[in-house]
Amino acid sequence: MKSKNKLLNEKIEQAHLGGGQARIDKQHQKNKLTARNRIHYLLDDNSFEEIGILVTHRTTDFGMEKEKYYGDGVITGYGTIHGRLVYIYAQDFTVFGGSLSETHAEKICKVMDLAMKVGAPIIGLNDSGGARIQEGVRSLGGYADIFYRNVMASGVVPQISAIMGPCAGGAVYSPAMTDFTIMVEGTSYMFVTGPNVVKTVTNEEVTSEELGGASTHSKKSGVAHLTAANDVQCLADIKKLLSYLPQSNRDTPKPLDYELGDEVRPQLSSVIPKSTTTPYDMRDVIKGIIDDDSFFEIHKDYAENIVVGFARLGGRSIGIVANNPMFLAGVLGVDSSKKAARFTRFCDCFNIPLLVLVDVPGFLPGTDQEWNGIIIHGAKLLYALSEATVPRITVITRKAYGGAYDVMNSKHIGADVNFAWPTAEIAVMGAKGASEIIFRKEILAATDPAQKLKEKEDEYAEKFANPWRAAERGFIDEVILPRFTRRKLIKAFAMLEGKKAKIPKKKHGNIPL
Amino acid sequence: MNGTSEFEVSIEDLLHLDVISAGEHSYHIIQDYQSIIATVKSGDRETKAYKIRIGTNTYEVVLLDKVDELIREMGLTVGRGLQINSLEAPMPGLILEIQVTAGDKVKEGDALLILSAMKMENNILSPRDGVIRTVHIAKGDAIDKGQILIEFEA
Amino acid sequence: MNLKPNPINMKKILVANRGEIAIRVMKTAKNMGIKTVAIFSEADRDAPHVRFADEAVCIGPPPSAESYLQGSRIIEEAIKLGVDGIHPGYGFLSENAEFAEEVEKNNISFIGPGSKAIRIMGSKLAAKEAVKTYNIPMVPGIDKAITDIGQAKEIAKEIGFPILIKASAGGGGKGMRIVEREKDLETQMKMAISEAIAAFGDGSVFIEKYVTSPRHIEIQVMADKHGNVIHFFERECSIQRRHQKVVEEAPSSVLTPELRRDMGMAAVNVARSCDYVGAGTVEFLLDEDLNFYFLEMNTRLQVEHPVTELITGVDLVQLQIEVARGEELSIEQSDLEINGHALELRVYAEDPLNDFLPSVGNLETYILPEGEGIRVDNGFEEGMDVPIYYDPMLSKLITYGRNREEAMDKMIWAINHYKISGVQTTLSFGKFVCEHPSFRSGNFDTHFVKNYFSGDALTATSEDEARLAALIALTQYLKDRKNLRIPNS
Repeated sequence: MKSKNKLLNEKIEQAHLGGGQARIDKQHQKNKLTARNRIHYLLDDNSFEEIGILVTHRTTDFGMEKEKYYGDGVITGYGTIHGRLVYIYAQDFTVFGGSLSETHAEKICKVMDLAMKVGAPIIGLNDSGGARIQEGVRSLGGYADIFYRNVMASGVVPQISAIMGPCAGGAVYSPAMTDFTIMVEGTSYMFVTGPNVVKTVTNEEVTSEELGGASTHSKKSGVAHLTAANDVQCLADIKKLLSYLPQSNRDTPKPLDYELGDEVRPQLSSVIPKSTTTPYDMRDVIKGIIDDDSFFEIHKDYAENIVVGFARLGGRSIGIVANNPMFLAGVLGVDSSKKAARFTRFCDCFNIPLLVLVDVPGFLPGTDQEWNGIIIHGAKLLYALSEATVPRITVITRKAYGGAYDVMNSKHIGADVNFAWPTAEIAVMGAKGASEIIFRKEILAATDPAQKLKEKEDEYAEKFANPWRAAERGFIDEVILPRFTRRKLIKAFAMLEGKKAKIPKKKHGNIPL
Repeated sequence: MNGTSEFEVSIEDLLHLDVISAGEHSYHIIQDYQSIIATVKSGDRETKAYKIRIGTNTYEVVLLDKVDELIREMGLTVGRGLQINSLEAPMPGLILEIQVTAGDKVKEGDALLILSAMKMENNILSPRDGVIRTVHIAKGDAIDKGQILIEFEA
Repeated sequence: MNLKPNPINMKKILVANRGEIAIRVMKTAKNMGIKTVAIFSEADRDAPHVRFADEAVCIGPPPSAESYLQGSRIIEEAIKLGVDGIHPGYGFLSENAEFAEEVEKNNISFIGPGSKAIRIMGSKLAAKEAVKTYNIPMVPGIDKAITDIGQAKEIAKEIGFPILIKASAGGGGKGMRIVEREKDLETQMKMAISEAIAAFGDGSVFIEKYVTSPRHIEIQVMADKHGNVIHFFERECSIQRRHQKVVEEAPSSVLTPELRRDMGMAAVNVARSCDYVGAGTVEFLLDEDLNFYFLEMNTRLQVEHPVTELITGVDLVQLQIEVARGEELSIEQSDLEINGHALELRVYAEDPLNDFLPSVGNLETYILPEGEGIRVDNGFEEGMDVPIYYDPMLSKLITYGRNREEAMDKMIWAINHYKISGVQTTLSFGKFVCEHPSFRSGNFDTHFVKNYFSGDALTATSEDEARLAALIALTQYLKDRKNLRIPNS
């Protein structure tokens, strides 16, 4: 009996070494943690239960049978984060460069299946050179098995992908279909075709970092929702992100304990500048509404004219979608619509209520927008919000012009409660534009057209650039003072907690893609 | 350890320690013939942070395992460049003087303000390079501990 | 001096002070059936001394200068409330001659000496003049203030180096310079004079011999309005840091009965020399040959008075009130004798590991030690913030034993059982002193702190303890880890 136990321990010890101490050291030298380090840091102390530690590959082509490693380049299993069950896989770069084989993919699929059965989040720590070429089609099949499960799990359990090393070729589609992708700055990159092939085909000279590094994907493409300075920051961010989410779509996010005080926020009284053309940072409004330090922004560097992220309101986890007048006057465009639409749909999947803050002068004009299909992409956000059955509350802080008013969670598309500040301007368009059209004859006939325009502009502004018309019609439920916004919202979300709404039965809608 | 000293301790060392459990949160130790009682005031196995009281002294201990050590060696830290965006008062007191205004560019270590507390004048220095966004206080204000004094541009 | 022929009414007393001393004075007043009035600044609204009193009145905003030092305002309120006597405590207005005068002018008893005595003893020059006739030994030196460097050189040669240059208007250790060698005299003199002008507005200085290995011994005296003056033996106050006392004891471990008698008599004479009334303390320096020299007289009740009370069995505040009422002292010198030994540690909210800088914060835990022979004159409660406006003294921890050993051991025990968290305190320093062989043997002087204490000394002893704490933490962690945990829902 003794020697058999000893044998088990030896095998486990060997598995823990992955591809060997030399490769482990090399990983550390590159300022990367090993897969086991990462799991140790991410999960609660001593909570990890590994599945398939002794799995090895079955390939015999190219003499592969001579080189086998326990675990086959990926560590899979489950554990807890802040006491909550999660399923995890972490690719081990020290074994065959973390490359994917048939058995490697099987291990990943096993934990994904468990996650679906039980209903708990899946976290993938990607650090892989791609397909294990010696495996041939088997590795392609392995990838597809994973992709299929990503899709099946989509909207059932939260899926988070961390890119902590290379992730290239077909491998990128898995993160693409998960809910959030977080990249580590400097040591990770993602692209479908690498710089070498790009050079030969298009003659473009570009580095891995430029083509698909963290900065590129967070600013240009929006593929990365978050970036982290290093492995440790990345894992810390995952923990933080999870705290806002439920375990599965059958759950609601767990609220934090919060003792309510008077919840008045006087600083909001001075946020809106006197002049309607002066911008302000919508994040200041957000800060003035939510619990201290609770804002977790998603896609911070992408489409900055709209701000999305998670926050807490009286301990309750909510999702926020807010125009930011600081950038491009807060207009809606292709990128901002896509960003906000996907975030909205995620919140709707996982029973996270939505708060929409509005200060939007309209859609971004220009050939770039029109030829890139602002028509279709703009519709995405409208569609996503209309379809969402989670509690939805709107606060219009200043402008809400034209079609953008409709899009930004107006009452007509099913918002539950609509507030506006006294500074709100709910109108078909800005005073200037409107006056030019309505009073065209008068202006042309005037002795001083510019003066007349100004006169009419002021007249229009006073009559229409305000929330009163909308309030009179009940399109706005209540005009509130900014300093009481937080109070009103805490009460409103609490009221809507039991909301149950349905959309007509269908296989799924046809959102313009 | 209280942010000041560091010790390397191992499970080996525990074998040499004559200690028994003396209650739910206390231990009785015999060291060099001395009888010592230690109580665990608080502890969190997740963060591996414990508060131990021996006699009149309370020690804040943070245990680091091999992976924590590795992370420290590699210089990986949490905190986006540890950018401090707001300066909080380290203690309650009176603002004697403010040496910066909004818009000023400062370097780490620059004097920002002078805080008087307990008949002592404390120079408050800038924790980072940056640009002053807002100065929330005025000369002569009485401020509380933790109150936000100055905000930096992000 | 106001000598009222008939016994004076003392039905209500206002204590013009705060914190532990206000409570201590009021305790005695209550025992005597006298009503008490507390004064407080806006920062002290929820302070214990306010609640302890029968009546209370707010006298201004937090800074002392706008509240506790507002003599006229205090007298105004006292008149409104029909107060018979004002007890000034220590610090604040206790040695303010104008205040004492004002109080008496308004027909209220000032529970302390007359303004004349305060003025005389408030100036080194005047004090030295007054005691001359009684042949009180003083530190060799000139008995008048000078400003001329040439003169200083002569005098210094006469009395011999090392010498001390002391600002005439200074006190509490401020404005003092030690000169070891003749060649440093001129520069030091110049600097001392300019500093004195800057700090006190008076550039006159004394030159006196610098006493090496000095001990600070003070004698408690009490005088009534009928010409009776007695002393209550000595207090040893050599454990000081930056000229501020931290540990005091009674009696001193080095005084012989003869010396005690001589110093006692000298102290009584000093009190007589200024027609003193009430409680006072005469301070002496004792050199290694047991020669004593008069330093100054403090015309108030002192912080460390409890140790005297414990070894003589008297209540000094009660005597103060009786004297103020015009009663004759019922105790005679021959009635007094020393019983046992008492030790006091001033518990300041200061960090001994950080050069005794004030430690500001909230008293998250604050539990006093209790037991036989333990007295805590306390001014704080758990949950209170330590205010920034005033002196950071939390309490006085006093122990009494049948002998010095017992008092010291009891002090160590009391320190271990005094639970304070949220601020750093001088408790660990007190423990260091009581465990130090030099203190325990009685063989120390005012250089004790300089010679033996450093932050390192405290940390060294705690280094071992710290390592032990680390091991215990590890033990607890391994124990915690053994428990199986399952995911919560």
